[in-house]
Order: sequence, then structure tokens, then C-alpha cells
Amino acid sequence: MPVPDFANVERRLLSAGTAPSVAQRMREELEDHYADLVEAARAEGHSVDSARVCANALLGDLEVLVHDAAGRPELKSWAWRWPRLASTVYPVAYVLALPAVPIAAGVAHAPAIFRWAGCMLAGALVTAAIFLGLQFAILFS
Amino acid sequence: MTQTNPPFMSGVPELLLLRLLDQREMYGYELVRSVKAVTDEAITLGEGVIYPALHALERNGSLNSRRKDVGGRTRVYYSLTARGRTRLAKLADEWRRVRAGVDVALEVPVGAGA
Repeated sequence: MPVPDFANVERRLLSAGTAPSVAQRMREELEDHYADLVEAARAEGHSVDSARVCANALLGDLEVLVHDAAGRPELKSWAWRWPRLASTVYPVAYVLALPAVPIAAGVAHAPAIFRWAGCMLAGALVTAAIFLGLQFAILFS
Repeated sequence: MTQTNPPFMSGVPELLLLRLLDQREMYGYELVRSVKAVTDEAITLGEGVIYPALHALERNGSLNSRRKDVGGRTRVYYSLTARGRTRLAKLADEWRRVRAGVDVALEVPVGAGA
């Protein structure tokens, strides 16, 4: 007996407009609940397969759960509830995020960037010193 | 003004959840076991469907939730808020009113009211 596809339940909830935080936590709770059911059946002496059959039966049809959650407006994401606001806010947020992403990435990798910048600076100084030396050599030859 | 009947059957799980959480905080699996116990297994739900109800109650402010590590697993515990208590009182009143109406109807001989 296969373990129910809880990841698919989460995907179905998300595609029905359920808020991501709700869909993710519901998936975690279902997985935990299923584990408890299997554990309880095992404690009663069932084999692994038999315990899973019991757990699946008790957990019920997950399609019903998806249908129930999809029919509750309070579980929807704000973008689903206010689509016009979302279509305004999202583009603005993306435009603001464009410069912020490389800065945030730079902050996150600051030591590596400083090392790279130090190497480039040292390389540039060495190159400049060689050119300066060549320039003097030409001038005084 | 006469109140219209609420969708009482669909409100039963919500009423039971609020009633049980009025006693102490619980997580989903524990709640399902408690529903079975307090109703003498008269009400058995597909256990998964408890979660949309819990999340909806949390989103409308009737419940709070918190994560708690128990035996190496993270459980989500639900507890009743002040708003939840008000909702519980309202639902319980509605349920008593409906039950009283149904009881009266069951006592009246068929055809007596016509």
C-alpha cells in the first residue's frame, strides 16, 4: 500500500488558491497525522502494509480535503482574494527587488567578494607597476 | 425577527472542535481521537478533513496555534481564543435551538400539524 502523495495534496491546494503557508502546514500536519495512524496500527500488531491500509482508510479521501479547503475563502491567499491589488503590487515589488537581489547576494557572500576584489586590486597594481616600469624604461633609454 | 436555521450539520465538527479545545490545547490527531471518545464514536470523520476546519477557525481568529516539539516530532497545537469562546457559545445556542425544534417535531404525531 503506497503512502499517500501529500506533496500532490499541497500542489492541489496551491493551485486552488490556498495560501502557501496554509498549504505547507496542512501537508506537514497530514504527514504527521498519517505517521501517528501507522504507529497506532503497528502498536496493535498490524504489519507495515496492513498498518498503512488502516491509516489510509482512517485518514479518508484526500480529494475531499482538497475540495473542502478550496471551498473556504478564508484559507485563500491574499493574491487570490484581491487579484487587482496583487496585479499592481507584484510588478512594483519585482522592480524593487531587481537591484536588491544582487546587493543581498553580495552581503551574503561578503568575504568571498572582498577576497575577489582584493585579488583584482593586487593584479591591477602589479599590472600598473609593470606598465610604469616599461614607460620609464622607454623614457630613459 | 426569526433567525434562519444555520447549516447545522456542517457546523457540527466546528462545534465539537471548539468545545474540545475549550478544555485544553490539542493537536490534530489528538482532537480526532477526542471527538471519537466524547461522541461514543457516533461521529466519525475522514480524519484529514479536520485540518481545513482547524485552519479556517484559526484564520477567523477563533483559534491560536503554536508548534511544539514532542518526542522528536513537531506538533501543531491549537488553543481557543476569546473570540473562539464567543463563537462556541453562539454555535452551542444554535445547536440547542435546532435540537429542541427537531425534538418537538419528533414528538408530534405525523399529520397532527396539518
